[in-house]
Amino acid sequence: MTESIKHENLKQRQDKRFINKETQTAAKYLRRMKELSGAPEGMEPFYDTLERIYVDMEYIEKKPGQKTIGTYCVMTPPELIYASGAVPVKLCSGNYTAFSVGENIAPRDACPLVKAVAGFKQTGLMPIYEDCSIMVIPITCDCKKKIAGMLSDSCDIMTMHIPASRNDDDIDEYIRQLYDLMERLENVTGNRITYESLSNGFRKVGYAQYELSEFIRLKKQLPYLIRGSHAMAILNSSSYMPADVWGRALHRVNAALKKRIAEKKTVTSKKLPRILLTGSPIVFPNIKIPLLIEEMGGIVAGDETCMGERGLWDPAVITNDSFDGMIRALANRALRPCPCPTFADNSQRIYRLKQLIKENQIQGVIYHVLRGCLVYDHEYKRIEEELGKLGIPVIRLESDYNEEDIEQLRIRIEAFIELIKLKQAPEKAVAVRRSF
Amino acid sequence: MKYLKKIVIASVIFIAVGAIAYFAYLFPFYEPETSDFSTSIEKLLSADYLTALIPLFIIIGLTAAGIVLVIVLRKALAKADKKQSRFADARTGRHRGNVPKQKPVWFMILRWTIMIVFAFIAIWGGLIFGMGISALSVPVLSCPWNTEEMTSSSCYYLSHLNELFELPWQSILIFFASTIGFILLLGRAICGFLCPVGLMQDIMDKNRQKTKTEGIKLNEKMYGAVTPARWALVLVFIGLCFAGGNFCNFCPAVAVSPVLAGMSTSLYISGFLMVLILMAGFFKRRAFCMVCPLGTIMGFFHKISLFRIKKDTQSCTECGACYEACPMGIKMIYTEREKVNVTSANCIMCGECIRCCPEDKALSMTCAGIKLYTSSRKKIMSGYEPDKTGRYAK
Repeated sequence: MTESIKHENLKQRQDKRFINKETQTAAKYLRRMKELSGAPEGMEPFYDTLERIYVDMEYIEKKPGQKTIGTYCVMTPPELIYASGAVPVKLCSGNYTAFSVGENIAPRDACPLVKAVAGFKQTGLMPIYEDCSIMVIPITCDCKKKIAGMLSDSCDIMTMHIPASRNDDDIDEYIRQLYDLMERLENVTGNRITYESLSNGFRKVGYAQYELSEFIRLKKQLPYLIRGSHAMAILNSSSYMPADVWGRALHRVNAALKKRIAEKKTVTSKKLPRILLTGSPIVFPNIKIPLLIEEMGGIVAGDETCMGERGLWDPAVITNDSFDGMIRALANRALRPCPCPTFADNSQRIYRLKQLIKENQIQGVIYHVLRGCLVYDHEYKRIEEELGKLGIPVIRLESDYNEEDIEQLRIRIEAFIELIKLKQAPEKAVAVRRSF
Repeated sequence: MKYLKKIVIASVIFIAVGAIAYFAYLFPFYEPETSDFSTSIEKLLSADYLTALIPLFIIIGLTAAGIVLVIVLRKALAKADKKQSRFADARTGRHRGNVPKQKPVWFMILRWTIMIVFAFIAIWGGLIFGMGISALSVPVLSCPWNTEEMTSSSCYYLSHLNELFELPWQSILIFFASTIGFILLLGRAICGFLCPVGLMQDIMDKNRQKTKTEGIKLNEKMYGAVTPARWALVLVFIGLCFAGGNFCNFCPAVAVSPVLAGMSTSLYISGFLMVLILMAGFFKRRAFCMVCPLGTIMGFFHKISLFRIKKDTQSCTECGACYEACPMGIKMIYTEREKVNVTSANCIMCGECIRCCPEDKALSMTCAGIKLYTSSRKKIMSGYEPDKTGRYAK
């Protein structure tokens, strides 16, 4: 008896410590982000969402009785989830506290993202995880496969097989899986997915993508219009907001950016080195790398990470107005344009990077590798070679959710930025532009 | 060895199709009381026109019946299947709501207008505007048995090569000059912009999209399997005249064009082929164009004709939307990463790939280097544009 009470007490103390640490880290990074100069108007809804999820530890915003569906990776079509009347929430986590709990569960070489997910599920304290009626897990790497098995002990899961190539047969197979997913979703939510509800799902996500296209178009026009960390916060929070709400909030940011263009205002009057961030996902609160880049005097002018621009960029193009045509569009969008390194031949990622470099006038690339994320690490070599041909400097930053390596990262990033500054022509004395 | 199988299949199809074509005219399925090949504007306006149209009504009725039958059968099959039964209703039923659609693009409006205008010219043009330019041959499948065509179609002499060389040399010259001129100038844009058979299939496809019926999606293998049939048809098209028959005997256009022009003719096998083509065109956009012999011949010239599909390989994200949209199943258009010119011999210049391309300036259609139509993110997302209050369109 006393033993169990003791145990209970210990658990309570552990939980309390976990919550304290978790909310503190999240609040700290949120504060650092807010302290960063040059945020456009209309950022509040995004900050509020991140705060709500990670600091206040609440459920995501939804109608009463609405089910939440947990998803991982960009391959789960949110359109289907909206069509079933539920809200999707992306569960890929960047949390340090959960990561340290997860280290005791997952093997040493597992990636921090998976450890953090395992940690959250182990403590059972994170509302967005506990609230999920079902988790949809595309098997994009070995870690995801094993975490799926681990999660199935405590939660309803559905795995989706991601093929190694993107041929016609693979698309057909994925369509079959999407029908299976729909069946599961219908069973979980109790709603039927109809032609009408599916096309409304398309409208919701399409609207978010419409605003995103506008956002990226504006961002491209002038590289210093918004800081990459702020953009990252906007894109990260899309995981925890219904698409239409997110789109509306982004609409306001777009309006603010348009005003900046009209008034010729930029986040800085100086010529900052423009950095492209690519590689493993950067998930709040593990945003130390974009923050470091911008605190060290660079600007993240483009990102090619799956929790960033890439995740929402490609629209599902309906070429066939039938119900099946819509599902086809989803399957096609999920696999073909996706530059995820899970695919055997992923040369399209290099083209995508080259495109981003050209469009955003990138001067250097930072390749982020989460320790244990083998698929991304594999592609580094090839990308380094290809970008070397373009004369774009690349560095590989290996890190996890730990904060202990922050000084080391700072030194490396600072050196990289200095290197780019040396390469670019010395700044001419220009009339001082208005800045914030 | 790789091609042996294809050659064998092609020859089998050649023999079978050739036999059908050879004997096709022997079996009239419907005969009017008097076969009357004369026509006039007065006839078009009189009640006689309706009787002349009977073969067309038969074709339309059979097509509609066939399509309904296929849909009903498919639904029954889906219902019987344990796995598919759940979504059988969602996939085949009548639906409320509409998919979000991008706003109409001028290119498509222009294409449709040209197609419809040309179909008018090819069927009734001679009656209305006279036969002033009837010596010009345009390479389209529009039946020259309809003697009131304003321009003639090259398909007649291409499938009657033995007759061609019996003509006076001036006619031969005009025939070759106009045919080759059109092919060089327009290439297979003729298929996408002018061909009346193409128009009929496009109308069927529009109907399918309107009724939200599920189509039949071909994959790479199936597109590959069509190739032997295409070559067999080219052989029949060019070669059968030397064996005493000819392609016109069973050409699907022969069942429609003269009838529409007001000529009272019988309905032969060609009419039933037309039914098949319309049905296939309903479920698979431009199904006949995949095997069209005239189109294949025009395809030989794709490297020198003026119309091109160009690609900015840097902007492409390989999303495959163009491939999904392409009625001819050209995969190279999204996998190509080196060449700028992605015009293929099969491309009919319908512009669908450009309409569905979500990347700015990734695909464009050019004529002699002038950009006619370019893909744009803004256009493709125009269906999702919010209303004035900033709310997404329901």
